Amino acid sequence: MAAAKEILTRRPVAATIRLTVPAGGARPAPPVGPALGQYRLNLMAFCKDFNARTQKYKPDTPMAVTITAFKDNSFEFTVKSPTVSWYIKKAAGVDKGSTRPGHLTVTTLSVRHVYEIAKVKQTDPFCQYMPLESICKSIIGTANSMGIKIVHDLE
Amino acid sequence: MSAWNFIKHFPCKNLSRHIFKDRVKPLCFFTSYTPQSSFSISASLSTSYSSSSSSCFTDESFAAPYLSVRIHCPKHVLDSFSEALLCFGASSVAVDEDIEEEDEDAASGSSLASKEICIESIFPVHEEVKMCISQAANSIGLKEIPKFKVEMGDEQDWITKNQDLFQPVEIAERLWIVPEWTSPPVPEAVNIILNPGFAFGTGEHPTTKLCLLLLQSLIKGGEAFLDYGTGSGILAIAALKFGAASSAGIDIDPLAIKSASHNAALNNIPLEKLELHLAPSENSSSGREIPLQKEQFDVIIANILLNPVIELADHILSFAKPGATIGISGILSEQLPNVIAHYSPFVEDISVATIGDWVCLSGTKKGDFIDN
Repeated sequence: MAAAKEILTRRPVAATIRLTVPAGGARPAPPVGPALGQYRLNLMAFCKDFNARTQKYKPDTPMAVTITAFKDNSFEFTVKSPTVSWYIKKAAGVDKGSTRPGHLTVTTLSVRHVYEIAKVKQTDPFCQYMPLESICKSIIGTANSMGIKIVHDLE
Repeated sequence: MSAWNFIKHFPCKNLSRHIFKDRVKPLCFFTSYTPQSSFSISASLSTSYSSSSSSCFTDESFAAPYLSVRIHCPKHVLDSFSEALLCFGASSVAVDEDIEEEDEDAASGSSLASKEICIESIFPVHEEVKMCISQAANSIGLKEIPKFKVEMGDEQDWITKNQDLFQPVEIAERLWIVPEWTSPPVPEAVNIILNPGFAFGTGEHPTTKLCLLLLQSLIKGGEAFLDYGTGSGILAIAALKFGAASSAGIDIDPLAIKSASHNAALNNIPLEKLELHLAPSENSSSGREIPLQKEQFDVIIANILLNPVIELADHILSFAKPGATIGISGILSEQLPNVIAHYSPFVEDISVATIGDWVCLSGTKKGDFIDN
């Protein structure tokens, strides 16, 4: 009986969807529409919920959303602060990463930038207990893969 | 030196201010629309209405093309590859849960099939898909670019699937919201017929339910009702069905006004009973006012979001008669103290109803204060 109960409380998952949605600006148009529509999720319910939960962010900040779609068309989602690469691009003032990371450096950032980004990322639900140093290392890794070098001080 | 540009560009100390709001921006201003406009909206709608109801409400942004890309990804890097795709240009990345069990892709045949997983990704139409995928693969150290296939997205598909989700909803005993294409399950009940299109308000959402129940308790007959943020028009129509003398609906989204007009017609509501006004969005340069009299309404409900509801508090309240009842929703329970703080100087006898995480606040407008 205990096993049966456990099966009942664990809803079967249909899919995991990741996307970027502007804070407070979810609308049932692409990409939200097709991405969620494919799995028959209630678009308006998602938009209302997402918009309400992101009211505290600056409007249109791209938020990283992970949606778990269940087979019964219900869903859950978590919202994270913007992706590390978004922060890096914003800090460096570039639109895209380098076309040949490792070979071509687009620009540089200072460790102070990395530290500030790490502090914001630490407020994410999943990063809360990660030491700042690990988060910084991960940010430096992402930056390098985008062709952005980290230096100690910008001269 | 170029390095100084970065420092000027990006003040380290105040990173959080870039992300968190320190100041709420106003989300709408108002324009004057003569009543003629609501007539013309309905007139154009009746000629374009056809049995395939989805076509009424698609405009450019919803029927926007997109690229649907299927990528074969090695299982062990699924998470990092998904994240990387989003960084380098994908709009969304979806992974089916049980693909691993199936025998995917007879073409690839070999044992490799069981170590790979299929990602469904959406890209904007002008994106260089191949470049994005290769950059994403590079950034996580994949030796080869994963196999992928690009197709034009089929917007009709998801639009239709979305419509199919809408089923009749029983809000309370003898109060039903019924899709246009279904016959009412309980013909003797108060049935509100709807085709919401892409406007909010089918009766399924907790906030809509809260507002409908509030409305049902408030309308005794003969009231003037204002639905601020009308969406599909569901509240404005419900008020009339409950016995209100007149309803007005305001929204910043032209698609909502279209949807509300259509739904008014579906419920046989004459135009003089339900007036609809489009409030222009922030980008509009005109400062014209909505043509509604101040202190005209007995009941006002605003089911929007925290920020507009706070920004527009004065404006919303200006339309209420002293002693009128105001209802505010679209608010999460954690946001309630903020709303109460903004409204309590002007509203008394505040009570709160809750469904899940959502709340609806109601109170009466105080009679004596300086109105600007």
